[in-house]
Amino acid sequence: MTTTEAPHMDVGLVAGAPGPQSVESDVAVSALRRRFGDRLGGAHLDAVGVPVIDVHSGVIHDVLSFLKSDADLSYDLLVDVMGADRGGGRPVEVWYQLWSMEYGRQLRVVCLLPLTGLSIRSATDLWRSANWLERELYDLYGVTFVGHPDLRRILMPENYDEGFPLRKDFPLRGRFGRPEQVRRALNRDIEDVYAREELALAGLLSDEESAHPAFDVPGDMSASDLVDGLEGERMLVNLGPQHPATHGVLRLVLQLDGETVERCIPHLGYLHTGFEKTCEYREWNQVIPYTDRMDYLAPMLYNVGYALAVESLLGVEITPRCRVLRVILSELNRILGHLLWLGTTAIDLGAFTVFLYTFQEREKIYNLHEAYSGARLTTSVTRIGGMLADLPAGWTTACREFAAGVTKTLDECERLLSNNSIWLSRTIDVGTIDGETAINFGLTGPSLRASGVAYDVRKARPYLGYEDYEFDVPVGSHGDTYDRYLVRVEEMRQSVRILMQALDRLPSGPVNVDDPSVILPPKSASMASIDSMIAHFKLVMEGLQVPAGDVWYSIEASKGELGFGLISDGGSKPVRCRFRGPSFVNLGVLPYLSEGSLIADLIAVNASLDIVLGEIDR
Amino acid sequence: MTDARSLPLADAGDGRVDTGVPRSWMTTRVDYVVNWARRNSIWPMPFGTACCAIEMMATYGSKYDIARFGMERLSFSPRQADLMIVAGRVTYKLAPVMRRIWDQMPQPKWCISMGACASSGGMFDNYTIVQGIDQIVPVDVYVPGCPPRPEGLIYALMMVQEKIKGESLADDRLRVESSSAVGRPNLPPEAIQLVAQPFGNSTRQNRMSGIEATSALQRPRDRIERLIEHRD
Repeated sequence: MTTTEAPHMDVGLVAGAPGPQSVESDVAVSALRRRFGDRLGGAHLDAVGVPVIDVHSGVIHDVLSFLKSDADLSYDLLVDVMGADRGGGRPVEVWYQLWSMEYGRQLRVVCLLPLTGLSIRSATDLWRSANWLERELYDLYGVTFVGHPDLRRILMPENYDEGFPLRKDFPLRGRFGRPEQVRRALNRDIEDVYAREELALAGLLSDEESAHPAFDVPGDMSASDLVDGLEGERMLVNLGPQHPATHGVLRLVLQLDGETVERCIPHLGYLHTGFEKTCEYREWNQVIPYTDRMDYLAPMLYNVGYALAVESLLGVEITPRCRVLRVILSELNRILGHLLWLGTTAIDLGAFTVFLYTFQEREKIYNLHEAYSGARLTTSVTRIGGMLADLPAGWTTACREFAAGVTKTLDECERLLSNNSIWLSRTIDVGTIDGETAINFGLTGPSLRASGVAYDVRKARPYLGYEDYEFDVPVGSHGDTYDRYLVRVEEMRQSVRILMQALDRLPSGPVNVDDPSVILPPKSASMASIDSMIAHFKLVMEGLQVPAGDVWYSIEASKGELGFGLISDGGSKPVRCRFRGPSFVNLGVLPYLSEGSLIADLIAVNASLDIVLGEIDR
Repeated sequence: MTDARSLPLADAGDGRVDTGVPRSWMTTRVDYVVNWARRNSIWPMPFGTACCAIEMMATYGSKYDIARFGMERLSFSPRQADLMIVAGRVTYKLAPVMRRIWDQMPQPKWCISMGACASSGGMFDNYTIVQGIDQIVPVDVYVPGCPPRPEGLIYALMMVQEKIKGESLADDRLRVESSSAVGRPNLPPEAIQLVAQPFGNSTRQNRMSGIEATSALQRPRDRIERLIEHRD
């Protein structure tokens, strides 16, 4: 493993940093205009200066293909595909968020689809990361992707018949009453979800087998039918959704030949919580408690990222103390997330002690959380324009003590694992992926960096002043499970480094912006002055008003690039609140990594991807 | 109980091995012994889904150490489990899985609903979350909190122990299961309709809240049953 400093990219399109003067002078936009001429729509810069270009749905595939393959553009990472419905019968928007590793540039391609013709060509042949992202759009918006190899519902049950939840005409609580929803849920045979298409996809339906009476059952069939039909040659095994090694309620359908995994089909959605729909019914600040509950392993990273995204829409500059404070909390939670990953992965591979060690350290971080926010893990620390409060007395000292102590625990864990022969044989050359394939799969975060790609949002598009901190981005050289372990452990050490620098430079001063239209005035002021009271009243009764606009903002979370796609119509609630959970896209690589390996290696690979189901299923 | 020390020791001369343990006896109620054994060796089945599961893990960790209650032996197989701890939000997609796991657990069995989401749907009153797992499976103890602290979960476990203390083998009403209930909702549709009204939003109170005064001693289950009686 080597530790290199990622090249600092000057084209960073950060909140506040000047983007290209005019969107038409942007390299990608002008190249597209030259190539496609009038088949493109208008272009604009979004709230953080990212060029956005509207493209007619007929040429979307050509445009994306050009953007990816052109040597001067080379947008090789499809970060996100998100949908948006602004309601009122307006067309459904499909956003493709792109990033060029080589040139360090962002671009967003937007395609408008009328409600009567929700069909678009799939980009799965260009990026494999498009697979699940497009399935999600199909599931939640009903957009058909032509040419998609496996277009099924992904989060909702496959036989869900209430509609497409993220459409504006879909009621928040669903179309049926609660008793009917419970009845339908329990009438669903949980083994009846091996659809014929899926069996065919898994190669389980040869022509001969299709003629077998056991497979002539119309519609879906149950697992027992399947096993009978196979006559012991191949076996279909359900791993999950209630299995201790799937890190939550992930369900994997495995086709096994002996102990070898021939085919792995992940089934998601057992924890689909409807965050994105629910947040459209909440005010901007009321969304913050929801962000905790998506990644409950590192909640403050979500708090910070969401607040930064909304502030970029608002155009609010947070105070210097708040910036440093957010860095401290982000790095603290990066350690928190990686510690849980280390402990649970060690359990999966049979080392229990590490779990006890890491949870001891996590308890210390919980104590810091509790001292600051009152909660152990659902912290909700940020507010739009500031924080919930200033730090309590003695907090920084306690944080320093923790940072000094955690490196010792990391040393101990490394002594237990790094040269442990069981650990080595279970992780080295298991689940190997090279950098180029990893980018194509949309991997971000430590899982990508283990494959040797030094892409870290903190370096590529610095936010919160990360460019002023000294830290390295650890990268692996083999892209196997062992490298992913080494990268995460080293990242914790780098986080400690940042933490110490941030604690040293934490300036005094206010944590909240001095703007009564954004953040509540202190209670003492609202009781003493009429202006403050009016500001307080307006904020409480009307809610924070965010100017109309759109933004796709991302930060480096503990699991990868965490994106927030927000659309505001100038009101007090978001029109669209998209969370691009890194582990949703990262998990998409699991079939690629595990097929052909042993079932025990599948557990190691799945653990090494560091997933959290709250964020995958949202 | 008789004082064991006053009894004669086993005679090593009659061919039996003298173990050094006095042959002693005591009188007690079968209920007492059975309940004592049951409540101090509960094997929990952790049905963890979301944030609450992380606090459940913290409860198993070194600081809170659930082993003090004889419950550190997790039974990830429902067939050997006594107590299902539902920790986290349960979706309609997951509901049949949870019901099946509950049906697979042998009697006697208990259930803890850990956290606001499991108990009532919590902050997720939307199209995908079950508004309280008591619509699907019977619940013995509800733990409030979002998520509850480990102390809260430990207190709930102690309440389950208290509950076991009060049970009797002679009264098997609690432990009889009808095969027709397998895979069915735990509540009738009318009760689900009643408990699933929009709740928590101050302008739209739960419909039940106007019918009866809330008191700390009333458990949700009691109120549901009383409401069903009222309707008949």
